[in-house]
Amino acid sequence: MTVLVVLTVLEIVVLIAALAFYLFWVGTLLARIATNLEECAEIVRAIVADAALIGPGAGHINETGGVVAGALPLLYGMAEEIVTDVTPRPEAPAEPEPARPASGTRRSRLLHAVGFSPDLSRTNGGASPRDRRPPTADPLRPSQLLR
Amino acid sequence: MHTLAMNSTEHTLWVWALIIGLIVLVAVAALLSLLIYLVQIIDRRVVTVRDTLKAAKANTADTVLIPQVAAGVDAVLAEGLQHHLFLGRVLGKVKS
Repeated sequence: MTVLVVLTVLEIVVLIAALAFYLFWVGTLLARIATNLEECAEIVRAIVADAALIGPGAGHINETGGVVAGALPLLYGMAEEIVTDVTPRPEAPAEPEPARPASGTRRSRLLHAVGFSPDLSRTNGGASPRDRRPPTADPLRPSQLLR
Repeated sequence: MHTLAMNSTEHTLWVWALIIGLIVLVAVAALLSLLIYLVQIIDRRVVTVRDTLKAAKANTADTVLIPQVAAGVDAVLAEGLQHHLFLGRVLGKVKS
């Protein structure tokens, strides 16, 4: 009988102690979670306050940027027109020169070998400075070469 | 002290009650342990959420610059209008 009473009291005490221990533990964890969640709520409110600036600001920038982008072609068109008007134009020659090849006239060694020097002064003949010597006083004639 | 007389049936029932109480105690401990385990998971996840929110707050902290950028773009537009007026005046003088 006494043993049963003692065991009963002991069981009740252990049950109450276990409940108290677990409840204290759960209470501690829930308090920490509540603190973290409160901090999360504050952070979320701060993020919402920061994000509230994005929409109107981006719309404003988009609208003003569109106006600037539309006005820039007008500005550089006016600038080009001014530059065109103030740039001096070269005067056109009275008699246009005939078109000549930029490379000049090719010199011929065959003609040079026979002593014939064509007049290449207008185009310089494409000759090197070595070939710009004055012609010799007595150029060779083909009849002399055959001799 | 009075001693209470108890027959064998009552004794057996008391013992069974003690055994059932012990089982209930173990079950309560197991369920509370499970509750503690789940609450600890919730605690870790809440900490993760808090850290993520802190990073998001740091990312959105510079949005206060957006109105300043809008004001700067407005200034660019005003300056462009001044250029437009200037080029209009110069173009009229050049053509004349």
